[in-house]
Amino acid sequence: MNDMTRPDTLDPPYLYPGYGSTLLRAPREPLLQIPAGTLDVPGPSVPRGFARDGENDLTRHGKSAPLGEKMILTGRLLDADGRPVRRSLVEIWQANASGRYAHPGDRHDAPLDPNFSGIGRTFTDDEGRYRFVTVKPGAYPWKNHAFAWRPQHIHFSLLGNAPVQRLITQMYFPGDPLLAIDPVYNSVPDEAARTRMVAALALESGIEGIAMGYTFDIVLGGARATPLGI
Amino acid sequence: MAQGRTPSQTIGPFFHEALRWKDGGRVTFAEAGQAIVLAGRVLDGAGAPVTDAMVETWQLSPLGRTPAAASGDAKPHGFGRVETGPDGRFRIETAMPGGELPCIDVAFFARGLLKPLRTRVYLAPLEKVRADPVLKALSASERVKTLVAEPTAAGEYRWDVRLQGEGETVFFAA
Repeated sequence: MNDMTRPDTLDPPYLYPGYGSTLLRAPREPLLQIPAGTLDVPGPSVPRGFARDGENDLTRHGKSAPLGEKMILTGRLLDADGRPVRRSLVEIWQANASGRYAHPGDRHDAPLDPNFSGIGRTFTDDEGRYRFVTVKPGAYPWKNHAFAWRPQHIHFSLLGNAPVQRLITQMYFPGDPLLAIDPVYNSVPDEAARTRMVAALALESGIEGIAMGYTFDIVLGGARATPLGI
Repeated sequence: MAQGRTPSQTIGPFFHEALRWKDGGRVTFAEAGQAIVLAGRVLDGAGAPVTDAMVETWQLSPLGRTPAAASGDAKPHGFGRVETGPDGRFRIETAMPGGELPCIDVAFFARGLLKPLRTRVYLAPLEKVRADPVLKALSASERVKTLVAEPTAAGEYRWDVRLQGEGETVFFAA
């Protein structure tokens, strides 16, 4: 729980040999300790008009509906004191239901879906809430180790109110057996912290007979960054 | 009520379309200023270009203020976001930050980085940079120079970043 004073116990380390790509990218020199509060400054302010209505519905980007299990993903963006992070940009990206990204670098031999780009963005409301309509992403193989498969996941990018709140993370699905063997997920040393990256099934936040519901709350660091009084 | 923070995870290799902003590499301000370019390469521990990184910048306005809020459908003032190219290069067109010691805060995200690497690049001479209290723990070290961009042609600042190994860039614990 001592996240503020020992942040390294919460986030993964830079060097995590089980995830091969860290080997040549993790710094080896000690990180520079800078005076407290140096980066605790106001951050970029993104105008609400930056995301258009409908960009939060990933099932309407094509001529017809994408393949896959339709899902409603809702949650709240909070600071470490539990206060809502309001009117803040949320960007997501994900593989399609077959486990293929609409990205030229993805060589996985699974079909693209012409009706699914896997990209969405929205803003949190005055209560810190966000909502996306999408389909459940598929798992996919990767070359990290023999028989390696990434668990189903959705990438999240959050700007928060301040640079200290900037977060890029991944949301996982409850009960996924691939979580146990995934080095990216398991790079987070603390089990309770890992579990906070797993969404909850919440069928009643879905649409009866149409879409499953999942909820995923995201807690940013830097409580001091939330402006007082809002 | 205090809650546990959500941990960081890697941006992975497939973020480009999702996080690419129109003119993300052209930083805007509410004020006019001296146009500059910050350009360089990102290299890994083997000296190979890092071809799939995202670079974000944040800085004071030309008058040394927190950038004003943008409006409408514009991207935020003072903030840059670009990808590295196939040769590991990035390029940010911005304005000279105001203040005594002009600098730009930079964060790198990439496959293989489970959390971002943060640092600060200075657009000022090495002697002045060395005196910055933020770098106190480093002031006598040769490594300070990894945080100083070199002026090249008029208005261009060159800053190469080494994630690991010889000449490794200084990154902040943050």
